Amino acid sequence: MLFVVLSGSVSAAGVDPDLTVMPIARDGQVVVSFDLSDGYTADVRDAIQSGLSTTFSYEVDLRRGSTLLDRTVASVTITAVVRFDNLTRRYQMSRTVDGRVEDARPTEDANAVRVWMTHFERIPLSATSSLENNGEYYVRVRAHTRPHNAWFFWPWGGTASGQAKFTFIQ
Amino acid sequence: MPATVTSITPRRGSEPARAPQPSRRPFRDNPRLILAGIGVLLVVLVALLVIANGTSQFSPDFLSEFVLYALSAADLTMLAALGFVLARNIVKLIVERRKALPFARFRAKLVALLLGMTLVPTVLVLIVGSELIRTNIDRWFNAPMADILSSANQIASDYYREQQMLASDHASRLARTLSGVDLANADVRPIRDLLAPDVTLQRVQMVEVYRVVPSSGSLSSLEPVIDVAAPALASGHSRAAADRLAAQALAGAAETKSIETLGAAGDLLHAAALIRAKDGKPSGVVVATAYLTGDLAARSRRMTKAFEDYNQLRVLKRPLTGLYLSFFFMVTLLILFGATWMGSYLAKRITRPVLLLAAAAREIGAGRLDQRVEPQSSDEFGSLVEAFNAMARELAAGRRKVDRGTIQLERKHGEVEGRRRYIETILERIATGVVSVDASGAITTINTAAARLLSLDRQIVGQPALAVFDRADLQPLSALLAGAGGQNRGESPAHEIALAREGQELHLAAVATALVGDSGAAEGVVLVLDDVTPLIRAQKVAAWREVARRLAHEIKNPLTPIQLSAERLRRHFAGAPPQAKALVDECTQTIIGEVESLKGLVDEFSQFARMPSPRTVPTDLAQLITDTVALYNGIFTDVRIDQRFAPGVPLVRLDAEQIRRVIINLMDNAIEAMERRGQIVVETQLDAANSVVRVFVADDGPGIPASEREKLFLPYYSTKRRGSGLGLAIVRRIIAEHGGSIDVGDNTPRGSRFTIELPC
Repeated sequence: MLFVVLSGSVSAAGVDPDLTVMPIARDGQVVVSFDLSDGYTADVRDAIQSGLSTTFSYEVDLRRGSTLLDRTVASVTITAVVRFDNLTRRYQMSRTVDGRVEDARPTEDANAVRVWMTHFERIPLSATSSLENNGEYYVRVRAHTRPHNAWFFWPWGGTASGQAKFTFIQ
Repeated sequence: MPATVTSITPRRGSEPARAPQPSRRPFRDNPRLILAGIGVLLVVLVALLVIANGTSQFSPDFLSEFVLYALSAADLTMLAALGFVLARNIVKLIVERRKALPFARFRAKLVALLLGMTLVPTVLVLIVGSELIRTNIDRWFNAPMADILSSANQIASDYYREQQMLASDHASRLARTLSGVDLANADVRPIRDLLAPDVTLQRVQMVEVYRVVPSSGSLSSLEPVIDVAAPALASGHSRAAADRLAAQALAGAAETKSIETLGAAGDLLHAAALIRAKDGKPSGVVVATAYLTGDLAARSRRMTKAFEDYNQLRVLKRPLTGLYLSFFFMVTLLILFGATWMGSYLAKRITRPVLLLAAAAREIGAGRLDQRVEPQSSDEFGSLVEAFNAMARELAAGRRKVDRGTIQLERKHGEVEGRRRYIETILERIATGVVSVDASGAITTINTAAARLLSLDRQIVGQPALAVFDRADLQPLSALLAGAGGQNRGESPAHEIALAREGQELHLAAVATALVGDSGAAEGVVLVLDDVTPLIRAQKVAAWREVARRLAHEIKNPLTPIQLSAERLRRHFAGAPPQAKALVDECTQTIIGEVESLKGLVDEFSQFARMPSPRTVPTDLAQLITDTVALYNGIFTDVRIDQRFAPGVPLVRLDAEQIRRVIINLMDNAIEAMERRGQIVVETQLDAANSVVRVFVADDGPGIPASEREKLFLPYYSTKRRGSGLGLAIVRRIIAEHGGSIDVGDNTPRGSRFTIELPC
């Protein structure tokens, strides 16, 4: 029987918006839940309401800490897309994981759209068998939004990121 | 480029020097590349302009990310490049000014001027333009337009929603109506009768009924029972959308409405409702469909599209503003960058040929006249370069002519100098004194002979002749010069001038000749001085010889009769009284004695007058002197005779008998002067430079006063009580016949010293 002790900590690297990351090892899987509620700003809402196809893209990496270069154990790219039809007043939402469409549904609930775009539960990352006992790991999530409401002269930035460290004890 | 090449190293060949070209920068020195670069920039600008104008055609991602990012990156790159160029120019200016390089200040001023002229209006345009862009973009989103578009969209949306609600209501009503109908019955006519009125009355355009078919497990499926459609319903629709919606409704989905777009034919608004049996279980699904015509749907879509476009622009206002501002800022940077580059380029274009010309001018100034600047343009700089090269060619040709002339001049100068040295040598070597005086009366030339004859220092050259010849003994020369200068033509008659030199009389024959130039102008006077002292002496000797000969002839003839007469008288009075006899004897004895004395004198005169020419043969002078001095051995006990012979004296052509006589005469005179007590030194000396051998005969007697020395060699002059006075005259004549000279001076510490010079 395997005992998995997870010692995780939650941190947010980005100042604005916050990205909360919560990795969990259970049933032989490392899953991660994260939330970018603060990222669903008024600008994003306006963009969605204007009919722009709005995308929240998340790069989720499970990495092993090291003195020099950290090693990526597993990586997943999740994309949440929503488009609002102003004629029918319905949102068409979809999610892809590593390019595969995992789910797509319409809705008329704006709050459901916010949750759809910013809240993710139990996203599988890797099997625990690939982790080393007592190893220091962290899950890093970097979020990008498109369209990016960039500012003149310095359009870069606006990327939210967060990470959570944990020690894998078997 | 106006010009690029100047040669630095001189060439000796006929071809102008072409030094290796300075390193050419492949881009900045290549006009084609520059034009191509400008063309590429223009194309990029046009492309960016097209992109900026067509931003609405691009996706927001492309606009807010790619285009804006690219423009911002380009702006930052150009800003950094501009800063780098400015900093580089400033640093370069400082360095060049510290090194005092030419045109550094000019280049800096030109760049600063162009940059300043461009910077101010460009920045003003940037500020005003940016504000205009912001203002105009803000005006796009004014309230009336937003209200209109929002209202239009609201109307269209509400209509769709209302139609969908109607369809949903009909579906619910029909579902309730059909709740008591056995959908599994094969006869569907009762169902059609129930549905037909809604379709006929245009409440809905189509109704589709499905019945639940129980299947294995917990899942159920639907089976179409009947569909009733209005004839006006557009063709082309399928059952798929209704089937899907029915399945969703059966599955309990919250969404029981859907919209099926038929393109230009319009939209179908589906709404589903569950048909429940009396026991409340779902027995089927009814889907009611409302039809919106193509025209109505298209208009609604356009209204919504306009509203969405407007809102999207409003949402993307910030990146859109940034896009325009970035583009505008990039154009500003391009202008500034171009102004800076153009200033630098123009400065170099102007100063580089000037620098090349200056460098070539310095080379030419340093004497390397083969330098050329290669023209590469036909503009004013090209003309300037051509003019410079023409000047250099003329200078080189002139230099070659001058060089040839200089060579010829140097050759002629050498010839003249050689002739001058030849004449100068002659003047220095001849015994004739030459003094030249220029037109101003200053002495320009005095040769060695003249300086010696006149006892003048040669440093008098340049001094006025009248001042130099103002000395008492030279005043006749001054008068002679004045006379010749006054005549200004030809030469004056020879004047004999006697000068006293160390107690001896020096006779000079002086001739002053006026120098007249080709133009007839007086150029001075040349004074020629000949030492005629030996000639005078010879003339005197010849005269005395003639006198002696006549005297001997006239005197000797009566002497014998006189002597015979005296002897006859003495014999006649031999028998006379003793007193008378004594008187006669005494008188005749006196007469006879004096006659004998006169005969001796006449013999000497005869000998002096008849002295033969010497018969010279090569003779050992030292041996001759030794033999002669040996004659005095043991005769004069109180006289010591020393002989000192110089080594290497060659054989001298002389008449040994005559020279022996000379030495004996000098020895006799010395012994007598010393009153037969003292020391005599006979010494020889070789002067190879002048090809003479000197014989010195010195005594330590009382010496000879300077005033007497010249007279010593005159005939019939004697300091002795008894003497004919012909001894030294004969000595001088013998020496002169041998081509030599004799002189007398003081001996050191006392006495006299005779010096004989004989050619060898």
